[in-house]
Amino acid sequence: MTAAVPETVAAVVGEVVEGVFATVAEVHAAALRPAAREGLRTGRPVLDDDVRELLHRPGQLAVGLGLVVAPRPDRGLPLRLEWWQLDPDGGRLRTLEPDLRPTSLGYYDYTAAEWFDVPRRTGRRHVVGPYVDVHGTGRYLLTLTEPVVVDGEFVGVAGADVSVGRFEAHLLGRLGPGAPFLLLNGADRVVLSTSPRWLVGALVPPDGIATGPATAVPGVPWRLVPVEDRSLLTA
Amino acid sequence: MQLLSGDARRAVFAPLDDGALRSEAVVRRVGSAIALGLLGDGEQLPAETELATMLNVSTMTLREALAELRGLGLVATRRGRGGGSFVQARDDVLAELADARLAELATTDLRELGDVHGAVASAAARLAATRASRVEIARLRDIVDRLARADTVTGQRRAEGRYYVELAACAQSVRLTMQEMDLHLELGQLPWPPAHAPGLLDRIVACHRAVLDAIEARDPATARTLTEEHVEARTRWSIELRLRGGEGTADRREVS
Repeated sequence: MTAAVPETVAAVVGEVVEGVFATVAEVHAAALRPAAREGLRTGRPVLDDDVRELLHRPGQLAVGLGLVVAPRPDRGLPLRLEWWQLDPDGGRLRTLEPDLRPTSLGYYDYTAAEWFDVPRRTGRRHVVGPYVDVHGTGRYLLTLTEPVVVDGEFVGVAGADVSVGRFEAHLLGRLGPGAPFLLLNGADRVVLSTSPRWLVGALVPPDGIATGPATAVPGVPWRLVPVEDRSLLTA
Repeated sequence: MQLLSGDARRAVFAPLDDGALRSEAVVRRVGSAIALGLLGDGEQLPAETELATMLNVSTMTLREALAELRGLGLVATRRGRGGGSFVQARDDVLAELADARLAELATTDLRELGDVHGAVASAAARLAATRASRVEIARLRDIVDRLARADTVTGQRRAEGRYYVELAACAQSVRLTMQEMDLHLELGQLPWPPAHAPGLLDRIVACHRAVLDAIEARDPATARTLTEEHVEARTRWSIELRLRGGEGTADRREVS
């Protein structure tokens, strides 16, 4: 157990996030193999079967991963994903097959999703969440993605999903007891909270809740904010 | 056949727990899935045994339901290689089915459905006012704009369902999102009020916009109250349609 001073917590969070991005990098590399490039061009499968097995690797925090392809209607290449996820119970691997028909109530319009759109626009890796992946996995997630570029052209994103609950369990397990804090994302949304006053998923007002200076998390636009340490379990 | 694993499909093929009248419950579920576009025109249904297992009905019950759907013209069955049951989206049949379903329900059934929808949707609206990001609010506005522009009943129903489901997602709640999906599969079995009184579409759109204004103003109480009142108004529209019963639908095909 580490003593949970803000710098240590920030370092641990950063390390956990980098661990997931390392998995994303492996998916990315797999998408650039020669056979994979062929698949991107022709619409045939891109990722080899070994990629999904990354989800079974010991210590893996991700519950889903894969490649989400940029559609090219001009070349007859439609929306498509090669994405696998762990069953919440049992750990069996399933292929994600969301509804990609625009006329459906359940249409998974991923080109508008932040995890797809931001890497496409910025050319940089991105982490989004917590959010409800409505019409996709239907789960409460953090999604980490990076753009895949072939011959200077954006062809999609490689990514991984981390369930918010699992992320919390992992970090609470690693961090020792300490002063309560909020982990906030770039949109001031609570990613992790060790105070019952602030709940995961809430947007917090930018001012007026911190009891001390914020600590940046290395590698992602997240920060730790110390908050009031007072129990609610009082009569 | 590879089944889609999106949350909407989970709801379409979730086990039925209606108890009695199982084959009719299957017909209604499939009908509303078509009305909401969750099952597309020409789409193949899963094999009989697979579908029966998913819906938790006997193969016999499922066959009865498929026969009924064929009779209605919502499903066509082709034999042999590449055969199976295929969806035929027909708006006229869906409207008849919805009228027939309404006639079977008591006003208290409609009130109960409205009460639950009001509870779920108003809770989602209240939470979204403190949890929805600017980007998410903009996306909800897009959906309402699409609802305002939609010129078919099915297009309006789909945009309307999407508004409520995504509102719940903006509340950061998986459970509320699933509840909305399930509720829309039930609401999709009933007549769409603007199909009977076109002016109502403007009222629906105006109300959704007012809710989004409240969410944007970070005013949870107003977002909640407006949603609650609107869902209650919707419930009363359905109840009025039920009480008017049969009016103008004398030549309606009976579904029993």
